[in-house]
Amino acid sequence: MLAVSSQINIDRQQILSHIGYGDEYEPSARITSLVNDYIENYHDLIAPSYSYTFRDIEWIKGNRISIGDSIILRSKVIARLLERCEIIAVFALTIGNHLEDMVTHLAENSLVLQATVLDAIGSGAAEKLASHIEDKIKRIANAGELMTSRRFSPGYCDWEVSQQKMVFDALNGDAAGIHLTESLLMMPRKSVSGIIGIGLPNKDIENYNPCPTCKKKECPGRR
Amino acid sequence: MPEDIIDLIRESVIQGRVTKDDEGLDEDMVGQPGMSELIEEALISGVDAQDIINQGLTAAMKIVGKRFEAEEYYIPDMLASAEAVGVAMEILEPELTRSGVKPKGKIIIATVKGDLHDIGKNIVSILLRGAGYIVKDLGNDIETKDIVKAVKKEKPEFLGLSALLTSTMVNMEDTIKALTESGLRDKVKIVIGGAPVSEEYAESIGADGYGADGFQAVAVVEALNSGTTGNK
Repeated sequence: MLAVSSQINIDRQQILSHIGYGDEYEPSARITSLVNDYIENYHDLIAPSYSYTFRDIEWIKGNRISIGDSIILRSKVIARLLERCEIIAVFALTIGNHLEDMVTHLAENSLVLQATVLDAIGSGAAEKLASHIEDKIKRIANAGELMTSRRFSPGYCDWEVSQQKMVFDALNGDAAGIHLTESLLMMPRKSVSGIIGIGLPNKDIENYNPCPTCKKKECPGRR
Repeated sequence: MPEDIIDLIRESVIQGRVTKDDEGLDEDMVGQPGMSELIEEALISGVDAQDIINQGLTAAMKIVGKRFEAEEYYIPDMLASAEAVGVAMEILEPELTRSGVKPKGKIIIATVKGDLHDIGKNIVSILLRGAGYIVKDLGNDIETKDIVKAVKKEKPEFLGLSALLTSTMVNMEDTIKALTESGLRDKVKIVIGGAPVSEEYAESIGADGYGADGFQAVAVVEALNSGTTGNK
């Protein structure tokens, strides 16, 4: 399904933090004007599309979760979450190839600063689209008096990137035009895939967060 | 005065300005000559290209490196400076060839097979160019055999390998093995970098060096070039 690119509104602070600025340091005039320029114009470079589906959780044994059609997810963290859920939403989304092609073009012409800023804008746009889809799934779940968990992607916690294939299998061939490379990376690169647990209000799944007890204190995805 | 223009070139690197249309680190710099205008002017005035590099570009990048280390500069500030140096080098290259000045060395750089991440590699490329090396960037997701082929053809002094994933960093080791099998390993110094790798990993796969960030990668190449370090 296509999304409207004007609905994907990234914020400046998020982009600045992507390219390394903390809260306490105001970027230089040059960087400010570059970021502002790109933020004003990036909508023409993105073509957001997404796909999602709902699946029953057939069984959970240890770190293995069966979601039908011989699709087995493997992760202790995800298994602990899904033990409290009734169904899961599986999703994939992308902002398309165009922005990425532009990043490559800039880098090939030694415009690495511009390439880095535009790449950060692409990451920011993909994240915003992911939040947009997350909200959509939440609204559907809430309408059925169910709650949703945070979203989890292969590569988070103990859920290996190689499990990307299971997520794509679960989407029954409709993965928003994204395909997996031999090394199971998504193409276009600015894409997000993952799952959201859906369950009854009394199971408190919306607050399920494995981060506080995790030993990886430096993890960039720590929430 | 040549010193004045070299001062301005140094300042242009620090400000990260390529042309007169660019803003700088400080505000309201649009309209003042940027790097490309200053280099052209310096060459017309007869300033020696080697002096421009040593006293202008290299000296300025040292200041930028220190500011980056002290966290006064962030990655984009550093990139803006490196970009200004890259533009200067492009204009200076024909002049250097004419006057018989040899580049410091040639480097082939690539993100290994299966890995599509290239921002880190691009940063290292531009910093190496700024430091006076000829860089041939093969791109990302590069087959091991193509890296070997490029080393055979281009005969670089250095090879830089990058990976962002634990699943693809193993291809760095494969590349080193393939170079050994082709009899090319001793002809090139190999430096690796990327989030999942470390100095220990570099050592374990038989690389010559490891750079934790762009400036470190340049420092390791410089040290290997002068024969002062390397873990091999």
